[in-house]
Amino acid sequence: MLKIENLCKSYGQRVVLQRLTLTISPGEVYGLLGANGAGKTTTINILCHLLRSDSGTVTIHNQPLSEETKSLIGLVSQENLLYGSLTCAENLDFFARLHGLSRLQRRERVQVCLDAVGLSDRARSPAESLSGGMQRRLSIAIALVHHPKLLILDEPTTGLDLEARIEIWRLIRQLQSQGMTILLTTHLLDEAERLCDRLGILKEGCLLVEGSLNQLRQCIQAQEIVIVQTSDEAGAIARAKSLGFLDRRYGDDLAFWLPEALELKEIISKFDGIALESIARQPVRLEHIYNEVLNFK
Amino acid sequence: MGSLPSFDFGNQWADLVGAISLSIADAFAQSVPPCLVGTALFFSCLGGPIATIVAEREQRTLKRLLASPLRGTSYFLGIFLAYGAIGIGQTILVYSIAAFANAEFPEATWLALLIVFLSMSAYVGSGFCIGANLARRTEDVNALIAALGVPLLLLSGAFIPIEFFPKVLRDIAQFNPIYHMIQALSKASILGQNFAEIAPHFWFLVGFAGLMVVGGWLSYRQMLTTQRRR
Repeated sequence: MLKIENLCKSYGQRVVLQRLTLTISPGEVYGLLGANGAGKTTTINILCHLLRSDSGTVTIHNQPLSEETKSLIGLVSQENLLYGSLTCAENLDFFARLHGLSRLQRRERVQVCLDAVGLSDRARSPAESLSGGMQRRLSIAIALVHHPKLLILDEPTTGLDLEARIEIWRLIRQLQSQGMTILLTTHLLDEAERLCDRLGILKEGCLLVEGSLNQLRQCIQAQEIVIVQTSDEAGAIARAKSLGFLDRRYGDDLAFWLPEALELKEIISKFDGIALESIARQPVRLEHIYNEVLNFK
Repeated sequence: MGSLPSFDFGNQWADLVGAISLSIADAFAQSVPPCLVGTALFFSCLGGPIATIVAEREQRTLKRLLASPLRGTSYFLGIFLAYGAIGIGQTILVYSIAAFANAEFPEATWLALLIVFLSMSAYVGSGFCIGANLARRTEDVNALIAALGVPLLLLSGAFIPIEFFPKVLRDIAQFNPIYHMIQALSKASILGQNFAEIAPHFWFLVGFAGLMVVGGWLSYRQMLTTQRRR
């Protein structure tokens, strides 16, 4: 569905993308992760033909990137790009017109898309009167109005409360079940973990790793992670090293990687003589992989 | 009213009021150029594009538009066309009101229309320049129009004939495009002067309109480049 090969982009001396290569299969949800400035939005802007790459090739639905491929993409940007004074139906109708849909097609698509995002009862409400979550759903409806082959969601839940976020997740899963190919960027790792079939982590314009969550777990040589709280951190780290456990910091937490899964009492016994205040076991999660890839790879 | 050796605004104004004796029809005819070019087109064709561009940028809808099959050139021409249509509507309205008051406009209709078209182009182009470069937020629009536009309007003869101004201001007015718009339209539309007679005003207007359209286009392109990156 989407094939990016050796994509490069610089703004003057600043390199934003370095030989980015990735492929997204039809019906797949691909999560592109990375810190601010990693090149996610630049990649999206190139895909949407808003920016030109310096080199590299992009094909969408087997077509090379061009003005025409804009119709194959539905873009949901970081902000709700809506005409506030227009109603939901009018916003949809306007963007459907830009994509050249006939009057009859527009009428049908407006209704279908409003139904899909659960805004049928707000069809005549001005967009500015909607809540943040509803506005984001309307943005998704606009992105879908012209039957795109690829839906690009650029941080779709940023700034939303938990309830609205869950609603957007439900909507994304629904689109996924209908076979929509989705490129998702997000800073919320639990969101990426929940929604994406495959993930790629970008750093300074380079794709450092990609694969399914299980494949990415290979980046960490651990079966399990334990988070400990202790007044004797130096002692705990020294003990962990002697046991062959790698130590890491996740925020304020001190963590050790366990090369094999152990019972809690076994772990405690290995730290015998160290004043442990608390100890918690965790499975290897995306946040651990992300931290490892960005900071140590 | 041509030369005023010494200037005393109060006395001159009193003289003017006492001396002028116009029929209603003539008064309407003479008020058409300043009314149309100095107020109607100024506020719609200059203020309108600024407000549109700034609102589009503030709502960030420009990015969604650019991600659609709509081309940047089409958007630029669309705004030109939209405000051109409003300008034509206002031209018809102002001339119709004058015509209902039995105002007569001798000849040079096509020349007058050309001047109106150039004036609209100059205003819309200026609107793009100001909207893309100077007005960052919606609140800036009124302030910019007031700061840049009102002095130009006052010095154009739109409200007070510039013959009443001291020489130094009259000299400055020679560089004021709105002054040339009003003069060209007045002479072509009211006095029925031909192209040769209004040539200095006309060519100044052509140059200014060309400069503003090109400047507006370049400013718009620059703005799109910035917006596309976001």
